Amino acid sequence: MKKTIKLIIRHIVLALLALFWLIPIIWLVVTSFSAHKGLATNNFFPKQWSFDNYVQLLTRPDTVCNFPAWFKNSMIIGVACCIISTIFVLMVAYAMSCMRFKARKPLMSFMIILGMFPGVLSMIAVYFVLREMGLTDSLLGLIMIYSAGSGMGYLICKGFFDTIPISLRESAKLEGASEFTIFTRIVIPLSKPIIVYTVINSFLAPWMDFVMARLMIKSKNPADWTVAIGLFNMLQKTLISEYFSVFCAGGVVVAIPISILFVIMQKFYVEGITGGAVKG
Amino acid sequence: MKKKVLSLMLVAAMTATLFAGCGNKDEGTTNNTPDTQAPAAEDSQAGGDTAEDPIANLIAATEGTVALDLWCSETPAYQEVMAQIVENFKQTYSEVDFDITIGAQSEAECKDRVLEDVTAAADVYVFADDQVTELVNAGALQPVEATYTYNPSETNSAGAVDAASVDGKLYAYPLTASNGYFLFYDSTVFSEEDVQSWDALLAKANEAGVQVGMEMSGAWYLYGMFSGAGCTLSMNEDQSNSCDWNNETGVAVAEACAKIAADPAFINITDTDFSAKLAEGDCNIKAYVDGTWRSGDIQAAYGDGYAATKLPTFTVNGAQVQQGSYAGYKLVGVNAYSENVGWSMLLAEFISNEASQLAIFEATGEGPANTVAGSSEEVMASPAIAALVAQSPYADPQRVGGKYWDPAATLGKNLAEGTVTDYQAALDEAVAGITAPAE
Amino acid sequence: MKNFLNGIKNYFKEFGTAVAKGDFWTKSSLLVMGMGYFGRGQIIKGILMTLIEIGVILFTALFSVPYLAKFGTLGTVQREEVFDAATMTKTVNDYDNSLLILLFSVVGMLVLVAFVLLYLNNIKKVYELQVLKEKGKHINSFVEDVKSLFNGNFHITLLTLPSIGILVFTVVPLIFMICVAFTNYDQNHQPPTYLFTWVGLKNFKNLFTNSMTVSFGYAFVRILAWTLIWAVLATFTTYIGGILLAKFINNERTKCKKLWRTLFVVTIAIPQFVTLLLINKMFSDNGIINGLANQWGIVDALKEAGIIAQGQNGIPFLSQPGWAHVMIVLINIWVGVPYQMLIATGILMNIPNDQLESAKIDGATEFQIFWKITMPYMLFITGPSLITSIVSNINNFNVIYLLTNGYTTPNPTMANSQAKEIDLLVTWLFTLTNDYSNFKMASVIGIFVFIVCAGITLIGFTNLIKGDREEEFQ
Repeated sequence: MKKTIKLIIRHIVLALLALFWLIPIIWLVVTSFSAHKGLATNNFFPKQWSFDNYVQLLTRPDTVCNFPAWFKNSMIIGVACCIISTIFVLMVAYAMSCMRFKARKPLMSFMIILGMFPGVLSMIAVYFVLREMGLTDSLLGLIMIYSAGSGMGYLICKGFFDTIPISLRESAKLEGASEFTIFTRIVIPLSKPIIVYTVINSFLAPWMDFVMARLMIKSKNPADWTVAIGLFNMLQKTLISEYFSVFCAGGVVVAIPISILFVIMQKFYVEGITGGAVKG
Repeated sequence: MKKKVLSLMLVAAMTATLFAGCGNKDEGTTNNTPDTQAPAAEDSQAGGDTAEDPIANLIAATEGTVALDLWCSETPAYQEVMAQIVENFKQTYSEVDFDITIGAQSEAECKDRVLEDVTAAADVYVFADDQVTELVNAGALQPVEATYTYNPSETNSAGAVDAASVDGKLYAYPLTASNGYFLFYDSTVFSEEDVQSWDALLAKANEAGVQVGMEMSGAWYLYGMFSGAGCTLSMNEDQSNSCDWNNETGVAVAEACAKIAADPAFINITDTDFSAKLAEGDCNIKAYVDGTWRSGDIQAAYGDGYAATKLPTFTVNGAQVQQGSYAGYKLVGVNAYSENVGWSMLLAEFISNEASQLAIFEATGEGPANTVAGSSEEVMASPAIAALVAQSPYADPQRVGGKYWDPAATLGKNLAEGTVTDYQAALDEAVAGITAPAE
Repeated sequence: MKNFLNGIKNYFKEFGTAVAKGDFWTKSSLLVMGMGYFGRGQIIKGILMTLIEIGVILFTALFSVPYLAKFGTLGTVQREEVFDAATMTKTVNDYDNSLLILLFSVVGMLVLVAFVLLYLNNIKKVYELQVLKEKGKHINSFVEDVKSLFNGNFHITLLTLPSIGILVFTVVPLIFMICVAFTNYDQNHQPPTYLFTWVGLKNFKNLFTNSMTVSFGYAFVRILAWTLIWAVLATFTTYIGGILLAKFINNERTKCKKLWRTLFVVTIAIPQFVTLLLINKMFSDNGIINGLANQWGIVDALKEAGIIAQGQNGIPFLSQPGWAHVMIVLINIWVGVPYQMLIATGILMNIPNDQLESAKIDGATEFQIFWKITMPYMLFITGPSLITSIVSNINNFNVIYLLTNGYTTPNPTMANSQAKEIDLLVTWLFTLTNDYSNFKMASVIGIFVFIVCAGITLIGFTNLIKGDREEEFQ
């Protein structure tokens, strides 16, 4: 009897926690279905429901909101970044974890130090470097910015490679495999979870950033923006009363590809780490 | 549903007037171009004694497509009317092939975006007049050294021209003159006598169980309280400020502010929050200090009771003092780094000419800076513009160094929340911050 | 440190020997980098090296020199323009742009430094070849060299592209930023119209001048303190919260584990800036939470109790110091815990079962197991990432910036430095550059942020990965 009560309490606590976590999400979703375009301040649930925000978002691009174009831009950037970043991270991590060369330790310390400078400040310099390359206002420029420095995020991946038994690599070497073969045939197949982790993180980064993107994309034509710039713009003082619900709808729509990514990847994300492939 | 129909009708009405307005203007400008431009150009060219018309020169010298970038307010109404004006511009100079892109950039933040990289900013941009010194300081504005189609210094109100000038030199073309603030109220609750003074206003509000609002914690609005009582705040040449708010009058003003804020009927609320409450329909704030940009929202909410007037008086040292305000203007600037200075100047002139200003008024309700347009019947019929005009004797041009905003906002916040105990000390500290050297 | 110096000493010693004992081919490599390879039959490699040399020389001569020449003054010719009213055109003089001079001088210098390193290395390589040849040993053909890039020298292949990316988009901007701290780049000296120049250590002095007007020092100390508190709190609350939640969900008595996990993970799917802006709006003074609190009489009750001031419209969740500090940490827990929960879930399932079993047999309570086995194991695995997450929280721009949009400080001294109590060093720095174009002070603050982070990392890493524990894992 006592056990059942404990069990019930356990689940009630969980439910309360989950509710707490979901309240903002619920508000986002219900507001996105509100017929009232502005910010609600007195009613949690909209008085009138409407699907119009989504219709407006997806089919009626105007001078403020051009969601299809933003989505396309962000998608291109996200996919390109996640491919480049993942490759970079794996490459750096393999070199740092599995190979031994003179500059290894200094390089590692150097990258740690680099990571400590606040990126916000050097943005203006990044902008001028990019401008000199003629890549401002282009998706390619943003892709370069988001993925160029990604090699520095190798640490977690290296930690993972460190746990791959050294004997695996050594026996392969004895059989005459080159480092390249070991990297592509042995280490990468074993690294699904960490690849998933890297892919998710690097795919998400461009969807979140608006400060850098706003500086790099000078165009004030909404069709050239990314989702983050566009949605952020909707909450400007002059626009929020007309676009808050549309903003919420945008948030929900953006969540769709990310959720799909998570649903597909979560299996690896959790099970991958636990699957035992790591600890031989 | 009812609301939706109403808003649809409003939109329809607005577009109708828009097109009507543009139609008229179309004829006007195209007909006038050849005659009016030449004399105006001759008048304004001080040194040049070329017999030829500079515009004709420019047209002759122009090869290929002229690409121009134009930044103006992000609101759909603005974007629409600008697109129309640009269309008219193209027709006026139909000899030339234009590629004009209109970008959405809020005037309030225009300076920040322009200064990131002047060379990449738009050729022509609309900005709020408080940014003019910083833009000039960074060399981002092309001075209006010559005018071609009309003379902005003559056609626009003196205040607007003043706001667009630095050290007596005109740097931008005045566009609207309605960026100042005044009092909106619901005439079904307040009578005309009630809105004359804060005392009466608050007394009536308490009686009627409604609220009266103002963003006292905003440095921009707070200024009016002090300036009204005769305190001064001005910008020095090095962009630091001179400020005497910590004198006796200032202390009395601060106390008066705190007293108003402490009234149960007073609410310190930002313009954005206020409009959110309005839009939701059950707003208890029946009088609010705001500007023309909210007139549409407020009219929709107050309905027949919609009214506007100059700001009320308030009690300082036992005497009634008229609350002052900032006058605000929107200006059209030409980027000093534009590759097509000539065409950019002509576009800026065109956007800010009388007809365009009227079109903008019709589309957005913002009052023209042009004196003829400003005194036209339609414009004067707008209660918001009338209130603005009534307030104008007490409104000052916004010329203040960047160090003003944060310390003043803090002062306003503390006054509004009633946390100040030693007024003299609070003002001393604020003035120290406001007058800090600009670096 | 000693090792480091010795390393440098050896490096030049080797170079010296190479030059002294080099034959014609080696010595002529001092001039034409490829010569040493030509002499040993490595034609393609020789051509490549020579091409690099020519490339660098051309780059320096054509691109860098004009900038490097003005590096000392950062430009002297200010922009002047003359507008011709008759033709509506204007003429502009050939002016200097301090910013570009500084930036591209940095680029030019980096290229030169890299080239010098390559050059020194090249001589040594060429000398090695000479020795090999003299001993009659095998010299790699080009094909063999390329092959080695996929085997013994695979790290070069792996690291080249990522390094170039990091150099161009991280190192160059960073050196630029450090340089700006020693200039007078502010709103009165904005390129391209105006010039800025070197001012030495003046800005650093400014930071610690504490008077009524220049209160940077006052604000700096307070913001630094909050930044550190925030970084530690934000990191550990989400970390421990994540572990606890993961344990709670993964407990064998919990039903529908997957469902619960998904409920929390949903919050990750919506981009952070959307949820943060949304939460900002929810908790604003006139937001939905306060609207509801007003309706339910909570605000009035709190006013009666004297917890919030009479002048407040609602509960000042994000608008008063104290309240805002707590809320930001709480909201950060909301944001961060699901992530940590996912990671912790993975690691927790990995704890060797035998340890847990034996602890249970010994009669340890669950609490004891958690602190004695689970936590040490977690720390062991995630230690380094904890340090990096403290550092990234110090630089956590988004959370603070998005949540405190519209916050006004009630402290006049803070306001006088354009600072707020809830600012982190990075957000303060962003305000300074974005709103006040005060790049010089922002750079100085940036350098201090770096020093703080470096300190923490040094302490953390020497304790956590001392003695090359990475080998131990393997």
